[in-house]
Amino acid sequence: MPTRIRYLPIEDVAAGMVLGAPLVIAEQGVTTFTLPAGHELTDSNMAQIAQRNGEWACIEEDDPRRDDERAADLVATQAHLDNLFAQTDRSQPANAALYAALLRYRSL
Amino acid sequence: MPLRLSEDEIIAGASLLPAFPKVVTDILATIDDDNATVSGLIELVESDPVLTARVFSLANSAAKSGNWRKGLRDMHVAISMIGMSRLRQIAISVSLADFGRETRVTRDFWDHSVAVGVAAQELARLRPLPDSSLVSADYALVAGLLHDIGFLWMARFYPLEYQMARQAMAQPGGESNIEIERRYFGIDHCQVGRILAIGWGLPSSIIEAISSHHRPNPALGRLVAITHVAEILVAALGMGMNGHTPFVSLSDAARVAAGLDWKDDLNSLFGRIEARSNHFGRIFLSMA
Repeated sequence: MPTRIRYLPIEDVAAGMVLGAPLVIAEQGVTTFTLPAGHELTDSNMAQIAQRNGEWACIEEDDPRRDDERAADLVATQAHLDNLFAQTDRSQPANAALYAALLRYRSL
Repeated sequence: MPLRLSEDEIIAGASLLPAFPKVVTDILATIDDDNATVSGLIELVESDPVLTARVFSLANSAAKSGNWRKGLRDMHVAISMIGMSRLRQIAISVSLADFGRETRVTRDFWDHSVAVGVAAQELARLRPLPDSSLVSADYALVAGLLHDIGFLWMARFYPLEYQMARQAMAQPGGESNIEIERRYFGIDHCQVGRILAIGWGLPSSIIEAISSHHRPNPALGRLVAITHVAEILVAALGMGMNGHTPFVSLSDAARVAAGLDWKDDLNSLFGRIEARSNHFGRIFLSMA
């Protein structure tokens, strides 16, 4: 099954979820805890993350959507972005690049 | 009849607002002080009983996940649990959240401020250009949380004009939001915010960020650029719009000065901004 990436506040992260990117917790620039991408979170990991005040995690999860549903979601995403950028001059390179970057992010 | 607000009037109004939390300016002062100690930070936090209780509450949440059986009562132990930078972040955010509540800010205003604060913090942690200065993540957080504080004053003391200006902003037209504010008030929220920030004794770089985040000349410093880019990213992500029609117009010079490179992993940056803003929003909601 295809997968998708989601960035979640730690309150929404649970044991059994799989990391979509390394989880790194640092204090004053020094890494104090790390788990690799692809790691399945355990109850023990969750306690360790809470103890170190982890705030978020990148999760990879199954994407059960059919291709047509995925395409429809992309159209809806683009319409939402178009609304947010309604007053934006997208001929300006910075604005155009931001729009493109957000479309990529929202398409994850 | 349009208003012509003066600096004296804004200062007089500010004196009717709840007192700005001194612990915020005191903590910011410790960041640049090489002689600042952990004990000094603890002393600052412990000078405010409400803040102390909240720090213990958050430290206890972390402690419950470990092997601690008893509730924490010692600030040194709390710091060992949550870390210095996290303590500063909590103390600043909680103090400003309390100030916001006392000042009766709307939930939407606060959500927007938190999102821009988090985005500014994330941008401050990016690697700066070789000739660009490092910006403290705590300074960036405060600049983001307070960047629109001028709106608060306007809404509090001139609610009718504020609503009229907001309605005008929602209409399509050639006038920018700043121009509309000046038409109704004779001054814009950046200028009002600047006067408030000076009165509260905030550091000059934060005053400049509040004052110039809509005119982000890179010569004004990296924190101005970071605050501008943070607000634009939050608008483009559709987060906490503070009731405004989103206006996404990114200054490329500010983007460069802030250290945002299109080649970087922006998915991760956007994801962190959304997830951490959501996380902080819940923490503050639980404290209300």
